[in-house]
Amino acid sequence: MSSSHEAAPDPAFLAEEVRRYHHFIVLALWLAVVTGAEIVLIFLPLPTAVVFTVLALMSAGKFFAVILWFMHLIYDKRLLFWCFFAGLALAFATYAAMIALFSVDRIDTRWFS
Amino acid sequence: MSDTAAAHEAPTSTGIDHKKLIMWLFLASDCMFFGTLISTHLLYRKLFPAGFTDAEGHQRFIQNLFNLELTSFSTFILLMSSFLMALAVSAMHKGQLKSFRRNVLGVIFFGLIFLGCQVYEFTHFYHQGLTIQNSVLGSTFYVLTGTHGTHVAIGVLWLILLYFYSFTGKLGGHMGALDVEVAGLYWHFVDIVWIIIFTAVYLVEYLGPNGIWGSGLPVVAK
Repeated sequence: MSSSHEAAPDPAFLAEEVRRYHHFIVLALWLAVVTGAEIVLIFLPLPTAVVFTVLALMSAGKFFAVILWFMHLIYDKRLLFWCFFAGLALAFATYAAMIALFSVDRIDTRWFS
Repeated sequence: MSDTAAAHEAPTSTGIDHKKLIMWLFLASDCMFFGTLISTHLLYRKLFPAGFTDAEGHQRFIQNLFNLELTSFSTFILLMSSFLMALAVSAMHKGQLKSFRRNVLGVIFFGLIFLGCQVYEFTHFYHQGLTIQNSVLGSTFYVLTGTHGTHVAIGVLWLILLYFYSFTGKLGGHMGALDVEVAGLYWHFVDIVWIIIFTAVYLVEYLGPNGIWGSGLPVVAK
């Protein structure tokens, strides 16, 4: 942790940080509202498939909002986004592969007992 | 990428600071790790929808065990800690060390509250009869949420160290901001993993009369 670059931040960079600061506040409010909406949603008398789909979309929205703004991916180099996206894609592929492999509706669970 | 960001490009072949690149690669690998744990939990919930049997031999249903208010509170706390972490990183970029310390103390405080809630939840579940050994549900649930809790604990420890390190006078300038940014990336990752766990593990259990997995078993009251 060297302190070789002790120069004060340039004004353009500071202005950019102030702009981001406001984005963070707005995003934090949105995240709180969406989380509240998720909790309300599960108690609404709607079809399960609809609620599940909306929950998944809200969750994905929160997920990408945090990685894009709080984790600065929207401001950083694209390479970082693709590095992370590769891990994310592999995680989803793992889930899809496990679903396909186990054919969950037909499996005989006596194997495990 | 903006012109301002371009002006702060790192002198590396990728234009990205190595510490930051390595942290993103680590997070990608951790994504796969949690992806496997979440997949395992969801698959076994589908395969064994019945829940678990408590010490008295009663069939129990997990939705009767969950405390949605507590979990929602934990989720809110973690989201707000992520917000404070973003402010802490921003403060370091602006060279405002005092603001950084205030915000990072808030993150540590919220992180400890989250851990306290998790300890309370685990203790409550254990006394209700859900253990890591007595059911597949217990095994996958404790391993998944426990691994996440361990990540939170490591994050809290890291931030405590950064907080005290800031008093040595060595946490300054571009490299200091980078160190805080890397710690921030880790903390935000812990938050996004919880966003998925909150929906995939907790909320889906409340869909339909017997949860989304629909065991058809009668729901036993607490």
